Amino acid sequence: MGVKITDYNLPNIPTWCPGCGNFAIHASLKKALSELDISPTEVFVSFDIGCNGNGADLINSYGFKGLHGRSIPLAVGAHLANRRMTAIADIGDGGCFHEGLDHLVHTIRSNYNITILIHNNANFALTTGQATVSTPKNKPMYGLPDGTPERNINISEFILNLDPSFYARAYSGNPFQMGEIFKSAIENKGCSIVEILQLCPTYNREFTPEWAKANIKEIKEVEDYNANSIESARSVLTNNSPLYTGIIYQNKNLPTFYDSLECRKNSITELVDEVKTHDIKKLLKYFE
Amino acid sequence: MQTQRVSVKFGGASGQGINTIGVLLVRALKRDGQRVFAYREYPSLIKGGVASYQVDLSNKEINSSSKYCNILLAFTPSSLNEYLKDVKENGIIVYDQKDITLTDEQKLYIEKKNISSIFLDSENIALEAGGTKIMSNVVMLGFLWRILELEVETLVNVVLKHFENKNIDLEAEEKCIRAGYDSATFRPEYAKKIDVPKKELFNNNNSYVMTGNQAIGLGAISAGVRAYYAYPMTPSTSIFKYLGDNAQETGILVKQAENEITAVQMAMGSMYMGTRALVATSGGGFDLMSETISCAGMSETPLVVILSQRTGAATGLPTWTGASDLNVALKASHGEFPRVVIATSDAKSSYTLIQKALNIAEVYQLPVILLMEKQISESIFNFKEMPRVERIERGLVDKVENDIQRYQITDTGISPRWIPSKEKKPYLANSDEHSEDGSSTEDSEETIAMTNKRLRKLEILAKELPEPTLYGDKNANLFFVGWGSVKNAVLDAIEIEKDSRKIGYLHYEYISPLKTEKLEELIVANKRLVLVENNQAGQLGNYIKENIGYEFKERLLKYDGRPFFVEDILDFLKN
Repeated sequence: MGVKITDYNLPNIPTWCPGCGNFAIHASLKKALSELDISPTEVFVSFDIGCNGNGADLINSYGFKGLHGRSIPLAVGAHLANRRMTAIADIGDGGCFHEGLDHLVHTIRSNYNITILIHNNANFALTTGQATVSTPKNKPMYGLPDGTPERNINISEFILNLDPSFYARAYSGNPFQMGEIFKSAIENKGCSIVEILQLCPTYNREFTPEWAKANIKEIKEVEDYNANSIESARSVLTNNSPLYTGIIYQNKNLPTFYDSLECRKNSITELVDEVKTHDIKKLLKYFE
Repeated sequence: MQTQRVSVKFGGASGQGINTIGVLLVRALKRDGQRVFAYREYPSLIKGGVASYQVDLSNKEINSSSKYCNILLAFTPSSLNEYLKDVKENGIIVYDQKDITLTDEQKLYIEKKNISSIFLDSENIALEAGGTKIMSNVVMLGFLWRILELEVETLVNVVLKHFENKNIDLEAEEKCIRAGYDSATFRPEYAKKIDVPKKELFNNNNSYVMTGNQAIGLGAISAGVRAYYAYPMTPSTSIFKYLGDNAQETGILVKQAENEITAVQMAMGSMYMGTRALVATSGGGFDLMSETISCAGMSETPLVVILSQRTGAATGLPTWTGASDLNVALKASHGEFPRVVIATSDAKSSYTLIQKALNIAEVYQLPVILLMEKQISESIFNFKEMPRVERIERGLVDKVENDIQRYQITDTGISPRWIPSKEKKPYLANSDEHSEDGSSTEDSEETIAMTNKRLRKLEILAKELPEPTLYGDKNANLFFVGWGSVKNAVLDAIEIEKDSRKIGYLHYEYISPLKTEKLEELIVANKRLVLVENNQAGQLGNYIKENIGYEFKERLLKYDGRPFFVEDILDFLKN
């Protein structure tokens, strides 16, 4: 193995709160990439705005910290231009399910070969604790002393209903399993979604390691679990009690967006290799 | 040589095939050696309403329409009512609907103006010739061709060529054209009314007919654009169609995105990665893209956004032309960052400027907004030669040493940029304020240094970009000043008037950063300057005032969704 985990390190100091799940998420991601022998110059990570995005300058790779809610289409554009790069979109539950939900839906539908890491800490943390779709109802939040009057969205079921190529759930308190999940997600050819249940000791104090220990179980504990069966996946996600982590669902038969494009079927180069003056003589005939 | 102009208008309903007939006429006239310009008006609906297609022909290059027509072919009663007032004295009306009944007022108008009113039973003629009802359209076309006294074989060849490879009975199509051409309804006095420019004057077939959007497509292909991210919005949509229809040939990745934000984000991602990508939209879609434009400015990612304008705020007149989005192109997006605003005026300039826009975006690492208008995007322009292919300039560094910084502070403000690849140094593009290596910073001095660095690019750009172009007579006393499609009506008018008076026109292609040397020369020389714009506020005039304090005393502004017709300029000159 040529690539070391430390190749991914940068000297910048993290700004996250002590105990933040992001430390483990970053470590697991670096571990996964290095164990897959992918070098920092073969990775593109797009970051959203929020606590996840504050990690943008903590990983030595090609990257783009863009706009709130938009890290997914940004990663898609980068991926389509050069598929030699491993493309990863990093986003929080606020950016993913509030500001830019449309992108998630269409990206799953399009099935680009990218990996989406959803940091689900059940709130908008960087703006100091506003409610998201995964904040428990009636929990007092910023500006909402009586809690949000709206219901939650069951994120995992929502994703599953779109028939993704890959859906896994990780828990930031279980970095070794998380690293293995990241590896599988990156290796999966198609749109891979990893929902990370992320510890947020500042704004989601109810979600403690103790609570997690009692309520989170690994999917391998389910006897004869078949991750290729959408029915199996539904059966463990509907109530989410316990919350299962691991690869919940994988459909290896879905063609990717790029592979479905007729006009790219015989191309051996990537779009980045093709920027040159193209002769339009043949096309001009039509206008003569 | 005196300018001769004849104009033919087809009036009908959306969904009747008016557009196809118009395109066929344009192509046949071009084949015959005429110079043509074609302009569409249509409502924002799929079937019905009143739509028109006007073809102007001339013995000289023309790029604008007449407000009036010599011949009106009406396919519906309502189109006859709508456009009768536009038919010139001694003109001709041809209609093919039995249920068309003229009011007394209309009959009086027709009589007073000596207009020939002709009923052509085109449907019956089509059926008798062995065609179908829908072929009544080409019967009308054949009849028109006879009035113009042009060679029928030219028309037949063009139509057959156009429909080849389509599931159409070509034999019947040809019979219907000839039946229309040979119709007994024709009278020699009709032809005498129309003074068709004599074709032996030109005798060249080596010219092109294309819309501005097709020219953009060709320019983009030529310039190495490899990804087009689309979301439909009139009048930009047909760029999507052109690039999509030719994707098999070009290999360009054409992706219909879920909205404009997605489209522009994907384009920015692709540009970061080092290919050339493009997006096009109109005002509303551009508003959605504006946050990303700011992000491209901050992260110094090359980005080209085409903004093809229609008229009005909100949805406005969605299928009509205008040039009221200069302000938003100049000022959209939060924060202070450099940008370039360029405006095309016709097909040729669209072809050239899209290539220039991509070069500028890459070399200066900033967003470029390329303004078009429905009048440019959808009108058909006819010209002799394609402009030359622009050499691709990318401003990339080849050697990436270890100590090189992506956002290095330089005298020009331009930092080294390289295409992400396995062999090169990785870097972060950051929408947060950042240090030279891309890492986030909130430091006071660094913020000032980086802001200045980015905005410094405008200084060198202002030196590099060309001054506006001066057309017409340089010794004139009267100069129009404008941008966009107004150029076409102004230049056509100058050509018509050139033997009787001297008129000049100062045309802005590169609008921001603003160049004012040529304008200031005219101001100092105390010339009469008239601002011409397709908007209500005189947005270029206001931008000029903001920059150099000069205020135009005379403004010729039009903002009813219609382009400037050549008479709009000629009438102004009479007063």
